[in-house]
Amino acid sequence: MMTLNRYIIYLVVSFALLMVIFPIYVLFLIAFTPAKYTVDSVFPLLYPGGFTLANLIVAVKSFGLIGPTIRSVETATLVGSIAVAIGLPAAYGLNRLPRKTANTVTATLFLANMLPAIVIAIPISAEFISFHLYGSVIGLALAQELVVLPLTIFLLQGAFSSIPRDIEYQARVDGAGLLRTIFTVLAPLAKAGVAAAFLLSWMISWDEFTFAVILNPANPTLPIIIYINLFRGNILASSAFALILTVPVIVLTAFLQRYLKGEYLTGGLSG
Amino acid sequence: MKWQEKYTTFLFILPALAYMVYFSFFPTINAVYQSFQTPVSHFVPSNYEGLMGFGLPFAIFNTVVISVGALALQFALAFIVALVLRREFKGKGIFSTVFLLPFGIATVVAAFSFTNIFATTGGYANSFLKVIGLHPINWFSNWWLDIFTVVVSDSWKNTPIVTLILLAGMGTIPDDLYQAASVDGANAVKRFFHITLPNLRNYVAIALIIRGLSEFNIFALPLILLGYRPVLLTTLTYEFYSTTASVYYSYASATVLLAFILVFFVVVMKLRSGQ
Repeated sequence: MMTLNRYIIYLVVSFALLMVIFPIYVLFLIAFTPAKYTVDSVFPLLYPGGFTLANLIVAVKSFGLIGPTIRSVETATLVGSIAVAIGLPAAYGLNRLPRKTANTVTATLFLANMLPAIVIAIPISAEFISFHLYGSVIGLALAQELVVLPLTIFLLQGAFSSIPRDIEYQARVDGAGLLRTIFTVLAPLAKAGVAAAFLLSWMISWDEFTFAVILNPANPTLPIIIYINLFRGNILASSAFALILTVPVIVLTAFLQRYLKGEYLTGGLSG
Repeated sequence: MKWQEKYTTFLFILPALAYMVYFSFFPTINAVYQSFQTPVSHFVPSNYEGLMGFGLPFAIFNTVVISVGALALQFALAFIVALVLRREFKGKGIFSTVFLLPFGIATVVAAFSFTNIFATTGGYANSFLKVIGLHPINWFSNWWLDIFTVVVSDSWKNTPIVTLILLAGMGTIPDDLYQAASVDGANAVKRFFHITLPNLRNYVAIALIIRGLSEFNIFALPLILLGYRPVLLTTLTYEFYSTTASVYYSYASATVLLAFILVFFVVVMKLRSGQ
């Protein structure tokens, strides 16, 4: 019986691994092997037929890889920074409020987060045009903030709750104001959690599609440039862009794994 | 002193709360309002009537089918993986890390890979079929296959989230329950249906809400894999936004989407609190 269970576990594990890895493998295959083995053949090879950097070099030279990459980095960094700046006090506040009030706030945040991006984005685009934010990095970051802020707050709440309140009282007794206590005493103590919150919002913005395609079609970020090139049939170019988009994300996901707990992903509803 | 502290605390939450409420509720209400406007008249249902001619009922049907299909597949897979992850085995750490990767990978990248996997010529799925001696398939030749490819691609991307939530729920079930059941002679299957599943109801509901709402909003994947046909509520909205002069049709389509999301939310919440 015991050994049978073992077999089933390893069977499930190997099958799941295969399923998860295959699409990522296909991305690397198309990006790094000559086109004749991949997109130019009727039945592409399932193993690497050769190795080339030509696809990437062509993408950098003739498809403007630099602009969208810089724009994506700027947007994501702005989204992460705003999320932490607004999220830190909010997370602290939620932990200190009476439970009932806190639950109402959580529910409101969750409800706002639940409204579809595509419903919000179209009216916002009209607003942004009149505020000269349409097509700008700042405008896109402000919109994407809606996707990440609640998640950031829930994650930070978790990070704060493990800090003993005595430390906070000590700082207050020593004369530090509440805001200063949060940013100079509590945040450094929860720095792993704060870093995780920043990186998670950074990553979600880096990947975000709906707001980006509606608000910034003319100044595309990386996901949009991938879509545009796929749409035009430039599979090799989009493979290069997809690679640039994916490599940091693989590192980030592995790093963030410790913080990606079901409790935070449930949007504070499980409590 | 105490009440003062309470209000200061609330001030800390205010920026985040105001931001979320202002930027999501206002545009949403605006979209609903605009959906009843046309350039020449106010408070008329003509945008909705117009949309009927562009396949609104079919868009609703397809959106529901894809959502239900994707949820079913994701929950089935997530339960299996979550049950495995509750056990100890060699290589568990690496497995959990790799299994989580699709969560971080952009939807557009998933769409890129699956476009190449399901491509009719030069597709990896057909290469695989050929290697094992089967006939290649035109993966976009009929409605069933269109739906199937989107459901599979979406489940690849989103099963990890469902798994994490279910896993968090399984962690809250006390071990005593299982031990007691074992002593009483309940086998693994019985334990799953009589202990795991009932105790997970809350977490299943949460996962259903979070994933269900996202499923109704599924956008980048069908847009890239299928284009605008078969039509979904999101791609219909985007089609009118990006290709025609009448953005009012977009608002109408977006409002229908919103209505479905709210209904779904209310139904699941009722089911969760009921019984």
